[in-house]
Amino acid sequence: MAEHILDQIRDVAEGQIDFEGQRLAELTVNLALSIVGAIAFFVGYFLQDIKLTVFVALGGTALTFLVVVPPWPFFNRNPVKWLPVGGGIPPQNLIMGDKAIR
Amino acid sequence: MYSSLVRLQNTFGFFTTVAFVVAAIIAASDLLAPRAPVVNTLEANNVQVATGRPHYYSNKKEEYASIRFTLDADLSSLFTWNTKQLFVYVTAEWPAAGSENATNQAVIWDTIITSPSADHLMNVGPATMKKLRKSAEGKSIDPSRGKISLKNQRPKYQITHPSGKLAEIDDVVLKLHYNVQPWVGALTWNQENLDVGLWKRLKGGVSEKFAFPAIKKKKEGGEKAKV
Repeated sequence: MAEHILDQIRDVAEGQIDFEGQRLAELTVNLALSIVGAIAFFVGYFLQDIKLTVFVALGGTALTFLVVVPPWPFFNRNPVKWLPVGGGIPPQNLIMGDKAIR
Repeated sequence: MYSSLVRLQNTFGFFTTVAFVVAAIIAASDLLAPRAPVVNTLEANNVQVATGRPHYYSNKKEEYASIRFTLDADLSSLFTWNTKQLFVYVTAEWPAAGSENATNQAVIWDTIITSPSADHLMNVGPATMKKLRKSAEGKSIDPSRGKISLKNQRPKYQITHPSGKLAEIDDVVLKLHYNVQPWVGALTWNQENLDVGLWKRLKGGVSEKFAFPAIKKKKEGGEKAKV
């Protein structure tokens, strides 16, 4: 029981996502941070206020962290289909060494 | 990107890259802001030379010059969104006696002008700080702070010379200098005779030539201990 709960906690802390989710996460990070940087610069430049640049950049970055770091469900929409445990029916004519395996 | 920790590290790593690039662009954007600093008036008003000691327990006698001056300058074009503060200083300069290429230069007065974004960094008391902040309330930049108007200003620093002699020197000039200190980017000083793109040289930053007078006579008859 305790082991089961510990496993769950470990899963949440580790926050694994599937392969498609990883591709999506990487794309999100690169796009979001680049756009945030550009917006921060232009806001600061046109309003002539460097503090605004800092706050926009930090705020946008915090938002990006929030979107990307936790294992949100949309990062886990394409789970890997593993073969069943035990392998079900063994192949018919599998030969190892001299012996055929039943 | 498979686990939370890896995503955290990757995101932070790319954030540092973005921060660096944005900072570089901000620094470069300074080149798009024209600078046209002008000095309307810079003149020495009242020059006095007196003997004194470098500190109380010194036997050495040195000559010190005190130069009152008038300055009227417009440095407002130096204040952009990336300007943190402006250091303005006035020097007295005169050619070294006997040698060809040396110049004597000493600062007689200076001041720090902050941008509103850097007011909190100013090293002043709470009352002055309040006044300073109030002077630019709601403004992110305040170019009007770049207008300097001083009349018969007392110098901050009385100057002397390694030789200890200062009286009766000719061809002294006052010069205004400034140093722009940006939030991001390189420090830049006034260009004396070179226009760089949109940054024009400092117009009229040199006073007319004047001379250090003879040592001021003491009231109780005659000068003793002359050099």
